[in-house]
Amino acid sequence: MKTMRGESGGPVQVIRMSFMFRVQHLLLMVSLFVLAVTGFELMYHENRLSRFLIDLEGGILNRGIIHRAAAVALMAQLVFHVFYMLVSRAGRREFREFLLTAKDFDDFLQAIRFNLGLAGEYPRFGKYGYKEKFQYWGATIGIFLISLTGIVLWAENVSMRFLPKFMLDLTLIIHGYQGLLIFVILLFWHLYIVHLHPSVFPMNRAWLTGRVDAEWLREEHPLEYEKLKGEGVL
Amino acid sequence: MKPVRTLWIAGILAAGICLAGQAAAGPAGDRCLECHGDSTIEKMLPGGKAVSLFVDQKDYRASVHGKGECAGCHAGATSPHGKLAPVSCGRCHAAAGKSYSESTHGLDRAKGNRDVPGCADCHGRHDIRKPSDPKARTFRLNIVAVCLACHKDRTIEEKYRLPDQVVMEAYEQSVHGMAMRKSGLLGAAVCPDCHGNHRILPGDQPRSATHRQKIPTLCGKCHSGILETYEQSIHGKGMRGGIAESPVCTDCHGEHTITKITDPASRVFARNIPKTCSSCHEKEAISSRYALPKKRLSTYMDTFHGVALEYGMTTAANCASCHGFHDVLPASDPASSVNKANLPRTCGKCHPNAGVNFAKGNVHVEVAYGKATGVFAVRVFYTVFISVLVLMFVLHVGMDLLGRRRRSPQATEETKK
Repeated sequence: MKTMRGESGGPVQVIRMSFMFRVQHLLLMVSLFVLAVTGFELMYHENRLSRFLIDLEGGILNRGIIHRAAAVALMAQLVFHVFYMLVSRAGRREFREFLLTAKDFDDFLQAIRFNLGLAGEYPRFGKYGYKEKFQYWGATIGIFLISLTGIVLWAENVSMRFLPKFMLDLTLIIHGYQGLLIFVILLFWHLYIVHLHPSVFPMNRAWLTGRVDAEWLREEHPLEYEKLKGEGVL
Repeated sequence: MKPVRTLWIAGILAAGICLAGQAAAGPAGDRCLECHGDSTIEKMLPGGKAVSLFVDQKDYRASVHGKGECAGCHAGATSPHGKLAPVSCGRCHAAAGKSYSESTHGLDRAKGNRDVPGCADCHGRHDIRKPSDPKARTFRLNIVAVCLACHKDRTIEEKYRLPDQVVMEAYEQSVHGMAMRKSGLLGAAVCPDCHGNHRILPGDQPRSATHRQKIPTLCGKCHSGILETYEQSIHGKGMRGGIAESPVCTDCHGEHTITKITDPASRVFARNIPKTCSSCHEKEAISSRYALPKKRLSTYMDTFHGVALEYGMTTAANCASCHGFHDVLPASDPASSVNKANLPRTCGKCHPNAGVNFAKGNVHVEVAYGKATGVFAVRVFYTVFISVLVLMFVLHVGMDLLGRRRRSPQATEETKK
């Protein structure tokens, strides 16, 4: 990690999202958006907005093609991401930060206690606190599950050979609700962390610039701040 | 030699009779035509309207009665003459006359209504030709125009509250009308094919040719192969069993509006089939009375088949794709295309890999406990899970925001230390 000193006395900034992560984030964002739109319009096909969107896409057949194209992009990213996180040096470093530990659970409980006024101290987070980790693992597992069910539904002619119809019915309903679940996590949780949280409102710009203010890091992720300071980066 | 001589004698006799007949008719007809052959001859009606009394000899001679004499119809006509008795076709055409007298037209005419057609209005007067003659008013390709002359007439339609003009006009655009008008097919159904000719009655009268109970047989006159299939179906059996609610041809196909199944306006066009079937099968009364499974439409519309069809993908399976149409049978019937044993084949029409294994489970999945418990459970689980999650998110965010107000100075202070 490098430090960036703002010119003309600007705030000191640190890199929080490397270029590789920003690219992955952008692709993920676009593909999830397309998948959500083309997916929910089928799930809620009676809705007038759905009808409008499907017509906009050029019919139900095109909707399927767009959905599958975005799904291929998403699954490719999932595979790439797994390899990147396990094989590359930068990825492995990040992966270690994302690993769930007992501390995360303690942090979560302590945050609640603090917010209720039962504890005097708010937990001190590393690069990723329990909020970010919940987000990351929730989305990753969700995307894995939705990809799996999506493949079964896409290859319906193969699936039909092995699976009875009620299994496909189940697959379909899991696929739909799993999509809703991911959407809800994104809408409520991610939106909160990176947009609505008072420390970043209206938006944490790291997904574009890759950088955050060192001051922000010190307040929200003090352990990471101290670590960077100890490494002499700051 | 004997049979040959007999034939000769018979031939000579026949020729003699014919000649004698003509000799008798000839002069008499000629005498009438001395006046009526004049194309300007007319009489004034009390209202001041002139009516031509001209008889075109050429037309008359070419007509089916052309070999007869005027007095054959105009009994007692002398020359000169006053008002003649009305012509009674029924004197010779007794059967037709009787049928006509029982028809709506005939009954109204007997009451003195002159708007309804008598014999001459359809058949013509002096120029009557056999219906098989392409020049006849009653020839297959001409008769529709004859009927529509009145039945497309707005004043008549309104005066007698007849089916809307549009219905009558619809025939012209229908598959039968187009076959007749555009393709000139003699096989195309024209008005009298369904409604009868002399004894036309409204469809709600049991004696009418177009009464519900007679419709399948009526359509089967031409579509006999389909009738045979229909008779084997549950609808056909029900109809023959006297269940009036059992659909007949027109319930699905329409009548005057009937079009090809490839026409998007057709009631049996792929996209319209769910609506057509459910017009009965979604009726609480009907499904209760005949113990039919319920919620067939909604459980179909929720599937990809239903959604795709709704959005115009006509290759997606509609009701008829699986259940059949003219041959529709209940799933309990071993001959039914949706009988458990036949499902692999039926599904296999589109999904070649859908085998015996696939056919396990319901096709119309009603998501409810005890019906599709697995799907129901998953739906409940996710609904609860997502709801609780949202609730917890909101709670957490709210608490976090409240707690933060306490935290800010404290955190800042701490790290500064």
